[in-house]
Amino acid sequence: MITIRLSRRARLFSLPIRTLILTSTCTLVSLPLLAGCTNNAPAGSTGATAGGNPRALTVQATDSECKLSTTSAPSGTITFAVTNGGSKVTEFYLYGEDGKRIVGEVENIGPGITRELVLKVEPGNYITACKPGMAGDGIRAPFSVSDSDQQGSGGYDIQLVERAERQISAVRRRSD
Amino acid sequence: MLANFLIGLREGLEAALIVSILVAYLVKSGRRHLLPQIWLGVAIAVAVSLGFGAALTFGPKGLTFEAQELIGGLLSIVAVGFVTWMIFWMAKAARSLSGELRSQIDKAADASRWSLAIVALLAVGREGLETALFLWAATQTAAQGTGSTAGPLLGAALGLLVAVVLGYLIYRGALKINLSRFFTWTGAFLIVIAAGVLAYGVHDLQEAQFLPGLNNLAFDVSGAIPPTSWYGTLLKGVFNFSPATTVLEAIAWLGYFIPTMTIFLYQKRQRTQGPSRQTPEPVAASGRK
Repeated sequence: MITIRLSRRARLFSLPIRTLILTSTCTLVSLPLLAGCTNNAPAGSTGATAGGNPRALTVQATDSECKLSTTSAPSGTITFAVTNGGSKVTEFYLYGEDGKRIVGEVENIGPGITRELVLKVEPGNYITACKPGMAGDGIRAPFSVSDSDQQGSGGYDIQLVERAERQISAVRRRSD
Repeated sequence: MLANFLIGLREGLEAALIVSILVAYLVKSGRRHLLPQIWLGVAIAVAVSLGFGAALTFGPKGLTFEAQELIGGLLSIVAVGFVTWMIFWMAKAARSLSGELRSQIDKAADASRWSLAIVALLAVGREGLETALFLWAATQTAAQGTGSTAGPLLGAALGLLVAVVLGYLIYRGALKINLSRFFTWTGAFLIVIAAGVLAYGVHDLQEAQFLPGLNNLAFDVSGAIPPTSWYGTLLKGVFNFSPATTVLEAIAWLGYFIPTMTIFLYQKRQRTQGPSRQTPEPVAASGRK
Protein backbone atom coordinates (compact mmCIF):
# COMPACT_ATOMS: atom_id res chain seq x y z
CA MET A 1 0.00 0.00 0.00
CA ILE A 2 2.73 2.36 1.00
CA THR A 3 4.82 1.58 -2.02
CA ILE A 4 1.92 2.38 -4.33
CA ARG A 5 1.33 5.66 -2.59
CA LEU A 6 5.01 6.49 -2.78
CA SER A 7 5.44 5.60 -6.41
CA ARG A 8 2.39 7.63 -7.36
CA ARG A 9 3.81 10.58 -5.51
CA ALA A 10 7.18 10.04 -7.10
CA ARG A 11 5.63 9.99 -10.56
CA LEU A 12 3.74 13.18 -9.87
CA PHE A 13 6.84 15.08 -8.98
CA SER A 14 9.35 12.99 -10.89
CA LEU A 15 11.23 15.79 -12.59
CA PRO A 16 11.01 18.59 -10.07
CA ILE A 17 11.60 16.24 -7.13
CA ARG A 18 15.06 15.35 -8.37
CA THR A 19 16.08 18.97 -8.55
CA LEU A 20 14.30 19.56 -5.28
CA ILE A 21 16.14 16.76 -3.50
CA LEU A 22 19.38 17.85 -5.10
CA THR A 23 19.14 21.52 -4.32
CA SER A 24 17.53 21.17 -0.93
CA THR A 25 19.96 18.54 0.23
CA CYS A 26 22.87 20.47 -1.18
CA THR A 27 21.66 23.61 0.54
CA LEU A 28 20.94 21.72 3.74
CA VAL A 29 24.34 20.14 3.69
CA SER A 30 26.31 23.08 2.43
CA LEU A 31 24.85 25.64 4.80
CA PRO A 32 26.65 24.31 7.85
CA LEU A 33 29.55 23.10 5.76
CA LEU A 34 30.19 26.32 3.85
CA ALA A 35 30.58 24.48 0.57
CA GLY A 36 29.56 20.86 0.83
CA CYS A 37 28.47 20.72 -2.75
CA THR A 38 30.83 21.05 -5.59
CA ASN A 39 30.68 20.95 -9.34
CA ASN A 40 31.34 17.57 -10.85
CA ALA A 41 34.27 17.74 -13.22
CA PRO A 42 33.12 17.63 -16.85
CA ALA A 43 35.47 14.78 -17.66
CA GLY A 44 33.92 12.02 -15.67
CA SER A 45 34.45 8.35 -15.14
CA THR A 46 34.18 7.64 -18.82
CA GLY A 47 37.68 9.02 -19.10
CA ALA A 48 36.80 11.70 -21.62
CA THR A 49 39.97 13.68 -21.23
CA ALA A 50 39.75 15.02 -24.76
CA GLY A 51 39.11 18.52 -23.44
CA GLY A 52 42.33 18.17 -21.49
CA ASN A 53 40.93 19.33 -18.17
CA PRO A 54 44.03 19.34 -15.99
CA ARG A 55 41.86 18.87 -12.90
CA ALA A 56 40.23 15.65 -14.12
CA LEU A 57 42.58 12.80 -13.28
CA THR A 58 42.26 9.07 -13.66
CA VAL A 59 43.73 6.47 -11.36
CA GLN A 60 44.25 2.88 -12.48
CA ALA A 61 44.33 0.80 -9.32
CA THR A 62 45.15 -2.89 -9.20
CA ASP A 63 46.13 -5.24 -6.40
CA SER A 64 49.77 -4.16 -6.80
CA GLU A 65 49.72 -0.83 -8.63
CA CYS A 66 48.34 2.68 -8.32
CA LYS A 67 48.85 4.58 -11.58
CA LEU A 68 47.76 8.20 -11.79
CA SER A 69 47.27 9.84 -15.20
CA THR A 70 49.45 12.66 -13.90
CA THR A 71 51.21 13.39 -10.62
CA SER A 72 50.49 17.10 -10.57
CA ALA A 73 47.51 19.35 -11.07
CA PRO A 74 46.59 23.02 -10.72
CA SER A 75 44.82 23.99 -7.50
CA GLY A 76 41.04 24.06 -7.40
CA THR A 77 38.41 21.35 -7.56
CA ILE A 78 40.19 18.19 -8.61
CA THR A 79 38.51 14.95 -9.60
CA PHE A 80 40.21 11.58 -9.27
CA ALA A 81 38.32 8.91 -11.19
CA VAL A 82 39.61 5.72 -9.61
CA THR A 83 39.15 2.49 -11.54
CA ASN A 84 39.79 -0.79 -9.80
CA GLY A 85 41.29 -3.27 -12.24
CA GLY A 86 42.36 -5.67 -9.49
CA SER A 87 40.54 -8.41 -7.64
CA LYS A 88 40.51 -6.85 -4.14
CA VAL A 89 38.30 -4.02 -2.94
CA THR A 90 40.39 -0.88 -2.88
CA GLU A 91 40.32 2.62 -1.44
CA PHE A 92 41.94 5.80 -2.70
CA TYR A 93 43.38 8.47 -0.41
CA LEU A 94 44.85 11.90 -0.85
CA TYR A 95 47.03 12.66 2.16
CA GLY A 96 48.74 15.85 3.25
CA GLU A 97 52.49 16.20 2.93
CA ASP A 98 53.00 14.38 6.25
CA GLY A 99 51.29 11.30 4.83
CA LYS A 100 48.88 11.19 7.78
CA ARG A 101 46.31 13.95 7.42
CA ILE A 102 43.52 12.75 5.10
CA VAL A 103 42.61 15.41 2.58
CA GLY A 104 40.15 13.15 0.80
CA GLU A 105 39.21 9.52 0.53
CA VAL A 106 36.88 7.26 -1.43
CA GLU A 107 36.04 3.77 -0.16
CA ASN A 108 34.29 0.72 -1.51
CA ILE A 109 35.87 0.71 -4.94
CA GLY A 110 34.99 -2.87 -5.82
CA PRO A 111 36.74 -4.75 -8.62
CA GLY A 112 35.67 -3.41 -12.00
CA ILE A 113 34.14 -0.28 -10.53
CA THR A 114 35.11 3.35 -11.08
CA ARG A 115 34.45 5.85 -8.33
CA GLU A 116 35.26 9.52 -8.11
CA LEU A 117 36.90 11.53 -5.40
CA VAL A 118 36.03 15.20 -5.86
CA LEU A 119 37.70 17.74 -3.64
CA LYS A 120 38.98 21.26 -3.43
CA VAL A 121 42.75 21.25 -3.13
CA GLU A 122 45.06 24.08 -2.12
CA PRO A 123 48.53 24.44 -3.69
CA GLY A 124 51.14 22.24 -2.00
CA ASN A 125 52.65 18.79 -1.77
CA TYR A 126 50.51 15.74 -1.19
CA ILE A 127 50.69 11.97 -1.14
CA THR A 128 48.32 9.69 -3.03
CA ALA A 129 47.61 6.12 -1.95
CA CYS A 130 45.64 3.14 -3.18
CA LYS A 131 44.77 0.59 -0.52
CA PRO A 132 43.99 -2.76 -2.12
CA GLY A 133 42.44 -4.95 0.58
CA MET A 134 41.42 -1.87 2.61
CA ALA A 135 44.32 -2.27 5.06
CA GLY A 136 47.85 -1.05 5.63
CA ASP A 137 49.58 2.08 4.36
CA GLY A 138 48.75 1.42 0.75
CA ILE A 139 50.72 2.09 -2.44
CA ARG A 140 51.93 5.64 -2.01
CA ALA A 141 53.32 8.26 -4.37
CA PRO A 142 53.98 12.00 -4.15
CA PHE A 143 51.54 14.41 -5.76
CA SER A 144 51.89 18.15 -6.22
CA VAL A 145 49.34 20.89 -6.70
CA SER A 146 50.50 24.12 -8.31
CA ASP A 147 49.10 27.54 -7.61
CA SER A 148 46.38 28.65 -9.99
CA ASP A 149 43.76 31.37 -10.17
CA GLN A 150 41.05 28.93 -9.32
CA GLN A 151 40.54 28.50 -5.62
CA GLY A 152 37.57 26.21 -5.82
CA SER A 153 34.42 27.36 -7.55
CA GLY A 154 33.45 30.80 -8.79
CA GLY A 155 35.23 33.43 -10.82
CA TYR A 156 36.42 33.18 -14.37
CA ASP A 157 37.54 29.60 -14.83
CA ILE A 158 37.54 26.66 -17.16
CA GLN A 159 34.61 25.00 -15.46
CA LEU A 160 32.47 28.09 -15.82
CA VAL A 161 33.26 28.37 -19.50
CA GLU A 162 32.53 24.69 -19.98
CA ARG A 163 29.27 24.96 -18.11
CA ALA A 164 28.22 27.89 -20.33
CA GLU A 165 29.12 25.85 -23.39
CA ARG A 166 27.04 22.94 -22.14
CA GLN A 167 24.10 25.23 -21.58
CA ILE A 168 24.40 26.72 -25.07
CA SER A 169 24.46 23.29 -26.67
CA ALA A 170 21.48 22.23 -24.57
CA VAL A 171 19.52 25.27 -25.75
CA ARG A 172 20.54 24.49 -29.32
CA ARG A 173 19.36 20.91 -28.96
CA ARG A 174 16.03 22.04 -27.60
CA SER A 175 15.48 24.53 -30.42
CA ASP A 176 16.24 21.88 -33.07
CA MET B 1 32.08 -10.55 -8.00
CA LEU B 2 32.85 -11.92 -4.54
CA ALA B 3 34.51 -8.68 -3.42
CA ASN B 4 31.52 -6.60 -4.56
CA PHE B 5 29.18 -9.14 -2.98
CA LEU B 6 30.95 -8.66 0.36
CA ILE B 7 30.64 -4.87 0.10
CA GLY B 8 26.88 -5.20 -0.46
CA LEU B 9 26.58 -7.64 2.43
CA ARG B 10 28.59 -5.42 4.78
CA GLU B 11 26.64 -2.27 3.96
CA GLY B 12 23.26 -3.96 4.27
CA LEU B 13 23.70 -6.23 7.26
CA GLU B 14 23.45 -3.84 10.17
CA ALA B 15 20.36 -2.07 8.82
CA ALA B 16 18.71 -5.42 8.09
CA LEU B 17 19.37 -6.62 11.65
CA ILE B 18 18.04 -3.49 13.37
CA VAL B 19 14.90 -3.41 11.22
CA SER B 20 14.22 -7.13 11.63
CA ILE B 21 14.57 -6.91 15.42
CA LEU B 22 12.20 -3.96 15.47
CA VAL B 23 9.67 -5.77 13.29
CA ALA B 24 9.98 -8.97 15.34
CA TYR B 25 9.36 -6.96 18.49
CA LEU B 26 6.24 -5.27 17.12
CA VAL B 27 4.83 -8.56 15.86
CA LYS B 28 5.61 -10.41 19.09
CA SER B 29 4.07 -7.76 21.28
CA GLY B 30 0.93 -7.58 19.16
CA ARG B 31 1.55 -4.18 17.59
CA ARG B 32 1.32 -5.10 13.95
CA HIS B 33 -0.53 -1.84 13.30
CA LEU B 34 2.77 0.00 13.81
CA LEU B 35 4.52 -1.93 11.03
CA PRO B 36 3.56 0.53 8.23
CA GLN B 37 5.59 3.21 10.06
CA ILE B 38 8.64 0.99 9.94
CA TRP B 39 8.28 0.28 6.24
CA LEU B 40 7.65 3.96 5.56
CA GLY B 41 10.91 4.84 7.31
CA VAL B 42 12.77 2.19 5.32
CA ALA B 43 11.16 3.31 2.04
CA ILE B 44 12.02 6.97 2.61
CA ALA B 45 15.62 6.13 3.50
CA VAL B 46 16.06 3.96 0.41
CA ALA B 47 14.38 6.48 -1.89
CA VAL B 48 16.31 9.49 -0.58
CA SER B 49 19.64 7.61 -0.65
CA LEU B 50 19.16 6.32 -4.18
CA GLY B 51 17.79 9.66 -5.42
CA PHE B 52 20.50 11.74 -3.79
CA GLY B 53 23.16 9.24 -4.88
CA ALA B 54 21.91 9.30 -8.47
CA ALA B 55 21.79 13.08 -8.52
CA LEU B 56 25.36 13.24 -7.27
CA THR B 57 26.56 10.56 -9.68
CA PHE B 58 24.83 11.66 -12.86
CA GLY B 59 23.98 15.29 -12.15
CA PRO B 60 26.16 18.35 -12.47
CA LYS B 61 26.88 18.56 -8.75
CA GLY B 62 29.06 16.35 -6.62
CA LEU B 63 29.59 16.19 -2.88
CA THR B 64 32.91 17.04 -1.31
CA PHE B 65 34.70 14.46 0.75
CA GLU B 66 34.25 16.46 3.96
CA ALA B 67 30.50 16.81 3.40
CA GLN B 68 30.09 13.09 2.81
CA GLU B 69 32.08 12.17 5.90
CA LEU B 70 30.18 14.70 7.98
CA ILE B 71 26.84 13.31 6.82
CA GLY B 72 27.95 9.75 7.58
CA GLY B 73 29.44 10.69 10.93
CA LEU B 74 26.60 12.83 12.22
CA LEU B 75 23.89 10.43 11.00
CA SER B 76 25.72 7.62 12.80
CA ILE B 77 25.75 9.49 16.09
CA VAL B 78 22.09 10.47 15.76
CA ALA B 79 21.28 6.85 14.88
CA VAL B 80 22.98 5.70 18.09
CA GLY B 81 20.67 8.01 20.05
CA PHE B 82 17.57 6.58 18.41
CA VAL B 83 18.64 2.94 18.65
CA THR B 84 19.39 3.49 22.35
CA TRP B 85 15.93 4.96 22.79
CA MET B 86 14.49 1.94 20.96
CA ILE B 87 16.28 -0.51 23.29
CA PHE B 88 14.88 1.11 26.41
CA TRP B 89 11.48 1.72 24.87
CA MET B 90 11.19 -1.99 24.07
CA ALA B 91 12.27 -2.87 27.59
CA LYS B 92 9.79 -0.44 29.14
CA ALA B 93 6.98 -1.64 26.92
CA ALA B 94 7.89 -5.18 27.92
CA ARG B 95 7.52 -4.28 31.58
CA SER B 96 4.13 -2.76 30.98
CA LEU B 97 3.07 -5.88 29.12
CA SER B 98 3.10 -7.85 32.35
CA GLY B 99 1.57 -5.29 34.68
CA GLU B 100 -0.26 -2.29 33.30
CA LEU B 101 -3.43 -1.96 31.32
CA ARG B 102 -3.46 -2.76 27.65
CA SER B 103 -4.90 0.62 26.61
CA GLN B 104 -2.07 2.41 28.36
CA ILE B 105 0.50 0.45 26.40
CA ASP B 106 -1.13 1.26 23.14
CA LYS B 107 -1.26 4.94 24.00
CA ALA B 108 2.46 4.88 24.72
CA ALA B 109 3.12 3.02 21.51
CA ASP B 110 1.14 5.54 19.50
CA ALA B 111 3.19 8.36 20.92
CA SER B 112 6.32 6.57 19.80
CA ARG B 113 4.90 5.84 16.37
CA TRP B 114 7.01 8.36 14.51
CA SER B 115 10.09 7.70 16.57
CA LEU B 116 9.89 4.12 15.31
CA ALA B 117 9.75 5.37 11.73
CA ILE B 118 12.83 7.49 12.43
CA VAL B 119 14.71 4.52 13.92
CA ALA B 120 14.06 2.54 10.74
CA LEU B 121 14.89 5.56 8.58
CA LEU B 122 18.21 6.16 10.33
CA ALA B 123 19.16 2.49 10.45
CA VAL B 124 18.86 2.28 6.68
CA GLY B 125 19.79 5.86 5.79
CA ARG B 126 22.95 6.07 7.88
CA GLU B 127 25.09 4.31 5.33
CA GLY B 128 22.48 4.65 2.61
CA LEU B 129 24.22 7.40 0.70
CA GLU B 130 27.57 5.61 0.59
CA THR B 131 25.83 2.40 -0.47
CA ALA B 132 23.84 4.26 -3.12
CA LEU B 133 26.98 5.91 -4.51
CA PHE B 134 28.63 2.49 -4.65
CA LEU B 135 25.60 0.95 -6.38
CA TRP B 136 25.36 3.74 -8.94
CA ALA B 137 29.08 3.42 -9.67
CA ALA B 138 28.48 -0.30 -10.26
CA THR B 139 25.53 0.61 -12.49
CA GLN B 140 27.73 2.94 -14.51
CA THR B 141 30.15 0.06 -14.97
CA ALA B 142 27.30 -2.08 -16.23
CA ALA B 143 25.96 0.60 -18.54
CA GLN B 144 29.03 2.19 -20.11
CA GLY B 145 29.89 1.30 -23.67
CA THR B 146 33.28 -0.40 -23.84
CA GLY B 147 34.27 -3.06 -21.37
CA SER B 148 30.95 -2.87 -19.58
CA THR B 149 30.15 -5.63 -17.15
CA ALA B 150 27.19 -6.26 -14.90
CA GLY B 151 29.35 -8.38 -12.60
CA PRO B 152 29.99 -5.73 -9.94
CA LEU B 153 26.35 -4.63 -9.86
CA LEU B 154 25.15 -8.21 -9.66
CA GLY B 155 27.57 -8.97 -6.85
CA ALA B 156 26.57 -5.88 -4.89
CA ALA B 157 22.86 -6.56 -5.36
CA LEU B 158 23.30 -10.18 -4.26
CA GLY B 159 25.17 -9.01 -1.17
CA LEU B 160 22.34 -6.68 -0.19
CA LEU B 161 19.83 -9.44 -0.88
CA VAL B 162 21.67 -11.88 1.38
CA ALA B 163 21.73 -9.20 4.11
CA VAL B 164 17.95 -8.87 3.83
CA VAL B 165 17.51 -12.65 3.88
CA LEU B 166 19.68 -12.91 7.00
CA GLY B 167 17.54 -10.20 8.59
CA TYR B 168 14.44 -12.20 7.73
CA LEU B 169 15.91 -15.38 9.23
CA ILE B 170 16.71 -13.49 12.45
CA TYR B 171 13.11 -12.29 12.46
CA ARG B 172 11.80 -15.83 12.04
CA GLY B 173 14.11 -17.08 14.75
CA ALA B 174 13.11 -14.26 17.07
CA LEU B 175 9.45 -15.19 16.73
CA LYS B 176 10.17 -18.62 18.19
CA ILE B 177 11.95 -17.64 21.41
CA ASN B 178 9.97 -16.38 24.38
CA LEU B 179 9.41 -12.70 24.92
CA SER B 180 11.57 -12.03 27.97
CA ARG B 181 14.53 -13.89 26.52
CA PHE B 182 13.98 -11.98 23.29
CA PHE B 183 14.24 -8.65 25.13
CA THR B 184 17.40 -9.59 26.97
CA TRP B 185 19.22 -10.88 23.92
CA THR B 186 18.11 -8.33 21.35
CA GLY B 187 18.64 -5.51 23.83
CA ALA B 188 22.18 -6.58 24.62
CA PHE B 189 22.85 -7.26 20.94
CA LEU B 190 21.56 -3.82 19.92
CA ILE B 191 23.75 -2.14 22.54
CA VAL B 192 26.84 -3.79 21.01
CA ILE B 193 25.67 -2.72 17.54
CA ALA B 194 25.00 0.85 18.67
CA ALA B 195 28.42 1.09 20.34
CA GLY B 196 29.95 0.06 17.01
CA VAL B 197 27.92 2.64 15.12
CA LEU B 198 29.10 5.33 17.53
CA ALA B 199 32.74 4.31 17.08
CA TYR B 200 32.21 4.33 13.32
CA GLY B 201 30.72 7.83 13.48
CA VAL B 202 33.69 9.01 15.51
CA HIS B 203 36.03 7.55 12.89
CA ASP B 204 34.18 9.35 10.09
CA LEU B 205 34.49 12.62 11.96
CA GLN B 206 38.19 11.91 12.56
CA GLU B 207 38.71 11.31 8.85
CA ALA B 208 37.02 14.60 8.04
CA GLN B 209 39.27 16.37 10.61
CA PHE B 210 36.37 17.34 12.85
CA LEU B 211 37.87 15.20 15.57
CA PRO B 212 41.61 14.64 16.15
CA GLY B 213 43.66 11.49 16.58
CA LEU B 214 43.07 9.63 13.32
CA ASN B 215 46.54 8.08 13.40
CA ASN B 216 46.54 7.34 17.09
CA LEU B 217 45.67 3.65 17.01
CA ALA B 218 44.50 1.67 20.03
CA PHE B 219 45.16 -1.59 18.22
CA ASP B 220 45.66 -2.90 14.72
CA VAL B 221 44.71 -6.50 14.03
CA SER B 222 44.38 -6.10 10.25
CA GLY B 223 46.84 -8.96 9.89
CA ALA B 224 44.69 -11.41 11.85
CA ILE B 225 41.33 -10.10 10.62
CA PRO B 226 41.72 -8.88 7.04
CA PRO B 227 38.89 -6.47 6.11
CA THR B 228 38.46 -8.36 2.83
CA SER B 229 37.83 -11.73 4.51
CA TRP B 230 34.29 -13.02 5.09
CA TYR B 231 34.66 -12.88 8.85
CA GLY B 232 36.14 -9.39 8.63
CA THR B 233 33.11 -8.45 6.55
CA LEU B 234 30.67 -9.92 9.07
CA LEU B 235 32.40 -8.26 12.02
CA LYS B 236 32.38 -4.93 10.20
CA GLY B 237 28.85 -5.39 8.89
CA VAL B 238 27.25 -6.34 12.19
CA PHE B 239 29.37 -4.70 14.87
CA ASN B 240 31.21 -2.07 12.82
CA PHE B 241 34.38 -3.65 14.09
CA SER B 242 37.40 -1.95 12.57
CA PRO B 243 40.61 -4.03 12.64
CA ALA B 244 42.56 -0.77 12.99
CA THR B 245 40.77 1.11 15.76
CA THR B 246 41.81 4.58 16.92
CA VAL B 247 42.10 5.44 20.62
CA LEU B 248 39.20 7.88 20.39
CA GLU B 249 37.02 5.21 18.73
CA ALA B 250 37.85 2.76 21.50
CA ILE B 251 37.07 5.37 24.17
CA ALA B 252 33.73 6.19 22.50
CA TRP B 253 32.89 2.48 22.24
CA LEU B 254 33.64 1.77 25.91
CA GLY B 255 32.15 5.09 27.05
CA TYR B 256 28.86 4.08 25.46
CA PHE B 257 28.91 0.34 26.02
CA ILE B 258 29.75 0.15 29.74
CA PRO B 259 27.14 2.59 31.16
CA THR B 260 24.41 1.59 28.69
CA MET B 261 24.84 -2.12 29.29
CA THR B 262 25.01 -1.54 33.05
CA ILE B 263 21.75 0.40 33.07
CA PHE B 264 20.14 -2.16 30.77
CA LEU B 265 21.11 -5.13 32.92
CA TYR B 266 20.18 -3.27 36.12
CA GLN B 267 16.72 -2.50 34.75
CA LYS B 268 16.37 -6.07 33.61
CA ARG B 269 17.15 -7.33 37.12
CA GLN B 270 14.59 -4.96 38.58
CA ARG B 271 12.11 -6.18 36.02
CA THR B 272 12.60 -9.82 36.88
CA GLN B 273 12.62 -9.11 40.61
CA GLY B 274 9.54 -6.88 40.43
CA PRO B 275 6.96 -9.49 39.38
CA SER B 276 8.48 -12.16 41.62
CA ARG B 277 7.87 -9.97 44.66
CA GLN B 278 4.28 -9.60 43.59
CA THR B 279 3.69 -13.26 42.86
CA PRO B 280 2.88 -14.28 46.45
CA GLU B 281 -0.37 -12.27 46.30
CA PRO B 282 -2.01 -14.09 43.41
CA VAL B 283 -0.79 -17.35 44.87
CA ALA B 284 -2.38 -16.46 48.22
CA ALA B 285 -5.54 -15.41 46.45
CA SER B 286 -5.75 -18.63 44.58
CA GLY B 287 -5.04 -20.47 47.80
CA ARG B 288 -8.14 -18.97 49.38
CA LYS B 289 -10.32 -20.44 46.69
